[in-house]
Amino acid sequence: MSQQVDVQAEQTEQTIRESLNQALYEELERDDSVILYGEDVAEYGGLYKISEGLYEEFGDDRVFDTPLAETTLGGSAVGAALAGARPIVEIMYADFLPIAGDHLINYAAKMYFNYGDETSVPMVVRSMYGTGDGHGLHHGQSPEAWFMNVPGLKIVMPSTPKDYKGLLKSAIRDDDPVLFLENKMRYGESGPVPEEEYTIPLCETDIKRRGDDATVVAIGGMVYEALEAAERLSDRGVECEVVDPRTVTPLDTDPILESVEKTNILVTAQEAPTFGGFGSEVAAQVIDDAFFYLDAPVKRVGAPFTPIPFAESLEEAYVPTAEDIETAVIDAIET
Amino acid sequence: MWERMTQDVNVDDDTARRFLEEMLRIDIFEEETKERFGDGEIPGFVHLSGGHEGSHVGMGAAMRDEDWLAVGGARLIGQYIAKGVPLPEIMAELYGRVDGSNRGHGGQMHVADVDRKLYGHAATIGSGQNPAVGLALAEKVKGTDNVAVTTIGDGGTSRGSFHTALVFAAYWDLPVVFVIENNQWAISTPAESLSPDSLSDYGDPHNMATESVDGSDVEEVYRAVSDAIERARNGEGPSVIESRVVRLVPHFEGDKETYRDEAEYERLKEEKDPIENYRERLLENDVLTEGEIEDMVANIQDEVSEAVEFARESPEPEPEAAYEHVYRTPLYGQGE
Repeated sequence: MSQQVDVQAEQTEQTIRESLNQALYEELERDDSVILYGEDVAEYGGLYKISEGLYEEFGDDRVFDTPLAETTLGGSAVGAALAGARPIVEIMYADFLPIAGDHLINYAAKMYFNYGDETSVPMVVRSMYGTGDGHGLHHGQSPEAWFMNVPGLKIVMPSTPKDYKGLLKSAIRDDDPVLFLENKMRYGESGPVPEEEYTIPLCETDIKRRGDDATVVAIGGMVYEALEAAERLSDRGVECEVVDPRTVTPLDTDPILESVEKTNILVTAQEAPTFGGFGSEVAAQVIDDAFFYLDAPVKRVGAPFTPIPFAESLEEAYVPTAEDIETAVIDAIET
Repeated sequence: MWERMTQDVNVDDDTARRFLEEMLRIDIFEEETKERFGDGEIPGFVHLSGGHEGSHVGMGAAMRDEDWLAVGGARLIGQYIAKGVPLPEIMAELYGRVDGSNRGHGGQMHVADVDRKLYGHAATIGSGQNPAVGLALAEKVKGTDNVAVTTIGDGGTSRGSFHTALVFAAYWDLPVVFVIENNQWAISTPAESLSPDSLSDYGDPHNMATESVDGSDVEEVYRAVSDAIERARNGEGPSVIESRVVRLVPHFEGDKETYRDEAEYERLKEEKDPIENYRERLLENDVLTEGEIEDMVANIQDEVSEAVEFARESPEPEPEAAYEHVYRTPLYGQGE
């Protein structure tokens, strides 16, 4: 758990949607150089209502709509950040991130490296992923693997309302370009959020549940599935440690290694296709640095290597779930 | 030369001398670059600016130090010089040395200098206009009257990213000046196959002010860009300028240019060289004498020699420098 949060502090129950809205509100209020823009984020409040009320509060100098062109959303954020603003841009669906990809990969990620001085681009690109709502091929893909191979980008993928708020505030204050990925299927999840102001540092892996029998490293929305699987496994006498890296790149690997050294079992869980994904990198890190602690082959839970299908029956078969994680843990333990 | 009509000089004598001097600086620096590249001292590959010098200098002179230049296209060295990056820093960067403008991280295509308001990340052609929109946006948010000038070649105008930048600049009514350096060649593909009569026409659907000028004439570019900057500063929004230049060099050093017509190439060298033409013009108008120009050339040659010496003496980066400057905020695994 983050050191910045006093566990004794007063907490209220909040949804992820509310905590994100609050984070944006607080940062817009704290720092005049913060601007928020994107498609339908102003009066409309964002397609998922994350920026609701901010336009009314801060006016159209700080919160404004744009034409539909992710290329310029990405590129203008790079320029604005270089010239002293702290832009937060919303790319409505993560599926559209490749349209801005040139500016994220070739520009934002390389600016600090290329200038070679203290020049940096403090920008946040918020975008939504998440499968299970029948939105099909282009409205729910998990994009982290597309970008985690890019040095210079930070990719943040929180799970709980508290993490979403604390990490978004840190992302806005961070001097590096941050891709902040929000699971649109989880906006309604609620949980305790400190009433007092707080931030959570980027690049710090969190342990969401303690356990000695198996390590489940889950990212984003899959943390909820991992916690559910852990509860079921607990009923069967298997105690899982649920590890939530929260930041995909750069990855804080030590807590993952320490957990595997204790449990000797590793299962990874992600919503994206398994092949070439986040779980593969976690597995590789563990094989590199903790191989002899493993009692069984690593199990990776993720989507099959196929596009997100539309038909309800197909989508249901596609989305990785708590049952998949439960099965993977049992398989590993019984190996 | 005698058959040419004498053209007036429409700027004051000091400005005219500076124009010629700056164009010669680009030319002499690049001739030296070509030599040093040919000798294997400069690694990678280099793109030179021959034929674009008037456009670069006219544009640079029209800008204030506080105005941003987001470079694009392939003819970049002349733009770095026109924006005031010191020659030794550019040369050391071409050499990939620690005292280069980017400490050897960038090279010829990526010279960047935030203190001189140079946005220099240009190699995915046609993209740089989008950061330029963001630079102008931030200046507007901050309440300054600074302008962002951004360059692109004719080739880059075919990329959608150029057009989305126009859409946003118009939508937000930002102080951006788009300068299209049309040298008629996207490597080997001629611009005449593009449909607009002038590439500045791309601004028309957005109701932007547009102008197409002879980019080989430093004074024409200076006037057109100055007008556009003044409009932008006064809140009259973005402009698109086509600067019609000629490419008097290969796309990059080593390009055999088999696609070019020999006779036409020779004619362009004879008639459209911005430096030679302006030199003649200043002599004919008694702004400078042959002797003064010789002194000017000699001084610049000394400057360039010093730049080469500076680059040669600057150390190569230590291998670990490849891992520095990836993240601004210290992180796990980043050595902090």
